[in-house]
Amino acid sequence: MKISYNFLKKFIDFNINPDKLVALMSSIGLEATFMSINNNYTNIVTAEIVNISKHPNADRLSLCKLSDGLKDYSIICGANNIKIGQIVPLAKIGAIVNKMKVKPIVIRGILSEGMICSKYELGLDVNKSHGILILDASTKIGLDFSNVIDNNDFLLNIEIPSNRGDCLNYIGLAREIGAKLHKSIKYPNIKMIKPKHNMSLNICIQSKLCYRYIGTVLSGIKISRSPEWLIEILNKSDIRSINNIVDITNYVMLETGQPLHAFDINSFKSSNIIIRNAIANETILTIENKQHVLDANDIVLSSNKDILSIAGIIGGKDSSVTEKTSSILLESAMFDAISIRKTSKKFNITSQASYRFERNGTDWNMIDFASWRAINLIIQITGAKIESQVDIKRKKFRQTKILLNLKKIDSVLGYHINKHDILQILKYLGIKILLTNSVTITCIIPSWRSDITENIDLIEEIARIHGYDNIPYAMIKRKPNHINANKSFLPDIVKDMRITLKCLGFHEVLNSSFAEIADLNKFHLDYFYKIINPISKENEVLRPSLLPSMYNNLLSNISHGIDSISLFEYGKTFNKYSENKKFAIIMYGKIWNEWWKWNDLNILPKYDFYFCGGIIKHILPLKDIDIVKNNIHKSYYHPDQVVSIFHHNKVVGHFGTLDPSITQHDHIQGDIFYCEINTDLIEYSTKTQILRYKQYSKFPFVKRDISIVANKSLKFFEIENVINDIIQTGNILKQYSIFSVYSNNKLLGNNKISYSIRLLYQNKNRTLTNKEVDEDVHNLLQKLDNNLGIKLRQS
Amino acid sequence: MKNDIIEIEQIISEAYTKIENSQNITLLNKISSEYLGKKSKLSKIIRALVKYPIDQRKEIALTANQAKNHIKNVIISKRQEILLNNVNNKYNTKQIDCSTTSLYFPFSRGSFHPIISTMEDIITIFKLLGFSIFEGNDIENDWYNFEALNIPQYHPARDIQDTFYIDEMKTKLLRTHTSAAQIHVMEEQSPPIQIIVPGRVYRNETQNTSHSSTFHQIEGLVVNKYVTFVDLKTIIKYFVHKFFERDLKIRFRPSYFQFTEPSAEVDIQCYFCDNTKCCSVCSNSGWIEILGCGMVHPNVFKSVNYDTYKYKGYAFGIGIERIAMIKYQIDDIRLFYANDLAFLQQF
Repeated sequence: MKISYNFLKKFIDFNINPDKLVALMSSIGLEATFMSINNNYTNIVTAEIVNISKHPNADRLSLCKLSDGLKDYSIICGANNIKIGQIVPLAKIGAIVNKMKVKPIVIRGILSEGMICSKYELGLDVNKSHGILILDASTKIGLDFSNVIDNNDFLLNIEIPSNRGDCLNYIGLAREIGAKLHKSIKYPNIKMIKPKHNMSLNICIQSKLCYRYIGTVLSGIKISRSPEWLIEILNKSDIRSINNIVDITNYVMLETGQPLHAFDINSFKSSNIIIRNAIANETILTIENKQHVLDANDIVLSSNKDILSIAGIIGGKDSSVTEKTSSILLESAMFDAISIRKTSKKFNITSQASYRFERNGTDWNMIDFASWRAINLIIQITGAKIESQVDIKRKKFRQTKILLNLKKIDSVLGYHINKHDILQILKYLGIKILLTNSVTITCIIPSWRSDITENIDLIEEIARIHGYDNIPYAMIKRKPNHINANKSFLPDIVKDMRITLKCLGFHEVLNSSFAEIADLNKFHLDYFYKIINPISKENEVLRPSLLPSMYNNLLSNISHGIDSISLFEYGKTFNKYSENKKFAIIMYGKIWNEWWKWNDLNILPKYDFYFCGGIIKHILPLKDIDIVKNNIHKSYYHPDQVVSIFHHNKVVGHFGTLDPSITQHDHIQGDIFYCEINTDLIEYSTKTQILRYKQYSKFPFVKRDISIVANKSLKFFEIENVINDIIQTGNILKQYSIFSVYSNNKLLGNNKISYSIRLLYQNKNRTLTNKEVDEDVHNLLQKLDNNLGIKLRQS
Repeated sequence: MKNDIIEIEQIISEAYTKIENSQNITLLNKISSEYLGKKSKLSKIIRALVKYPIDQRKEIALTANQAKNHIKNVIISKRQEILLNNVNNKYNTKQIDCSTTSLYFPFSRGSFHPIISTMEDIITIFKLLGFSIFEGNDIENDWYNFEALNIPQYHPARDIQDTFYIDEMKTKLLRTHTSAAQIHVMEEQSPPIQIIVPGRVYRNETQNTSHSSTFHQIEGLVVNKYVTFVDLKTIIKYFVHKFFERDLKIRFRPSYFQFTEPSAEVDIQCYFCDNTKCCSVCSNSGWIEILGCGMVHPNVFKSVNYDTYKYKGYAFGIGIERIAMIKYQIDDIRLFYANDLAFLQQF
């Protein structure tokens, strides 16, 4: 809620500057900020207008000479409320006004050395149309503007918590400040006047959701523009001035929090006014010119079949106050908060009234006070006469009585506030003390505080006004944890994979949990959860896979001209029965950058299936992981270049080349490789995986390179199986690696392929002889020949 | 005898010249054996001494041995000279450019996402304080996200948490805060409880520099017999000082959350202007809001059938993006999800 600092002073005497007031309000839970567009007043000073002449080349502009006592400034100004001799705020070169730096500027051939500021430009008003701020004639010139600002008003924006509807008005805010400063508040004076009874209405409440209704008939009204002071107060709270009657109802609402509504009596078809629930399919055209179809959950004010208003929310167009209005029904009422909220949500209407009603901003005891306050102002400003008044109560006001347990305050806060202080705090909050003894205080809660219903609410009030910052700190109590103590946010396997990948130059990404259906279609992915109320396409469905968003990350980086991209993400995917965390990797482009010592540019390899597969194998645990080509059906992979990752004979992930027919669409040169792993399915823990040291030989390796020729149809793992067999059964072959793969129809024959393999032999206890190594190599070659028909290459 | 003395002098001067002219160790070794070895001229002279009378032998032997020592010393010094020269030559020929630019590395450096790092940092702090970790589901229902947390339907507090729904009946939703997990934990176990809940939350809001429809929170919940507001203040202050690694001023401001009472919002002294109140980050207030917290509301305990007389608790919720933006001085929340390498490489 936006309020005026000066106007607030009408309701409570306080002597603290706006800066301190902001801090005070924040300290009691009403977060306040200056509503200034500009609070930096550097280079803004007070100056006197010493001369005004017409701009020779522009009719609407004036050429002003200003003095700050030290120097004269020529300023071009477009406002028409300036006169010679006035003291005004002058923004010199370098000042910041309206977020813009003031610079010397030539306007139609003449130089302006700064600007004369309006309240709006200084951030002191929301209305742009009020002209230059004319300061008090006694203001000294040459002062920094920040020093004179105290004479002017400040706008404050107060964030009022949703349970504190009682603070959505000046009196409510004054009460809060009073509670902190130990001051009582000043209510406006009201005078009750006897009605003349020439004109009256039959008002009756039929709805259970209307608790109280005060209806006053006023006649002899002259509709006109409101007095300036009234318009200014409304403006400061962002309320537009309409006419004197509407403005008075809004003004009294700002003062008291009680929403009021005025109806033009001449529009009523009958003098019987009924507050009731709407009948299905009744309609109303509101003052906003919108037609709404009502139902039995909405409260309305009706006259015959006409709906005059949606009660507590918005008035009807036909019954609204216009220039022709001469007599009105003034409504001051209380409606059920939840009902008002349901209706206002349904029609998507938030009015000043509904906002207050749904936050319980109305005070039972303020309903007639506000009504009289408005009647007094209407009579005073429009010359009206009061004709009749009814006050109908559907409900009895119930006082809330709470037995406050003093020990409980200590046990919640962990800190003792002495009883005298507690009583003071309660008193200035308007809480009456019925009884008090050493253990309890019996409290009567004031009518405006419907949010206080139990002990804990009072404890909060006491802590809040006492000041959270006055409650001390203590030593940290460290208690052992006992549940899921070993569980960590990132599983060990993910921690290890992240570190390895980071060292390999991969970047971790995070994407939103949403996906666009169009992106999923691209990869033939199904979704399982659709958002029924998305704000944009980006939030259409929950992602079933990490692929679409990572692919988009790749595209956007490619569009930035980057030619080497390797990313990983660990995050939730949403599938039919569960939310699963997945680990995904995407790779594209060059593996490494040019190096000046590598002159040959051919040394810049790109990610390919084998290299990427090597990375996958490298980051996964050594044990119990198999990467196997099986015919898995993943529609987004190249049909021949995809493998499954197995753990304990269960598929835990897949890796492959993305289907080129998909990537072609996005004009991507080269292949993209993707891998997704369900890390939850892999048993792995750095704590449980016990490593045991194995004795190693201190004798040198003996190396043998062999080149063998096999049929292309043979899978390399079959050769590996034979070698591994020998490693396991024999005792000197220790390691092998493949260093060349080669095929050439002319040299090797059709469908033949050659593998060059390096074998490393070692004995634990002695240096090996050539003879025993040769025997072992021979043994291996024999086995390869016998089992797989593989021969040594002849060339 | 005189001839012998003259010969020795000749040998010395001959050796001097040879040693002086030799440029490498091999040649020097040759010279060494030529003049000092068993077959050297000097050795011969010594061996031939028998032909002289005893009194003369002494003089010649002395002169010859002196000559040997002399030549030996000259060779040693020459040897050192050559070795030194060799090393110097090596330095001179193998000079390289050691400036950092020439040390360019063709493999690029990887990175961790700042949000994950921030979460890990925060979790580490609380784990050391004895907190356990619980992770809830992102898909929740109305009970866990709202009702059980004392946020009834049609309460205006729901306004600030625009919710994504995934079914027409509006029963299944994406949690708007990690507080939803509090209820699961309390339903599953009885006090004492001391947990943190890291996770993703969702708000159906228009995205801008400070709002994202997906973001992260870490929720904390402590329930026990004697838990007070003082404990809450203490743990929050400890966390803030550990996390920012600075003795920042902090303040507790009364606030309103449905599921805690008393509730507070915590501000830290502005990281950017050091509380001098002249920057846009803190909108000239000198303070930046970093988290919300409070004492668990009795109604929350009632929804999980905890004895509200016996147990008290506190809860807090930290917005990860917000705190990371403050720590790394990031001015647009959307940068976290754009995944531009130019951004990621900085972490």
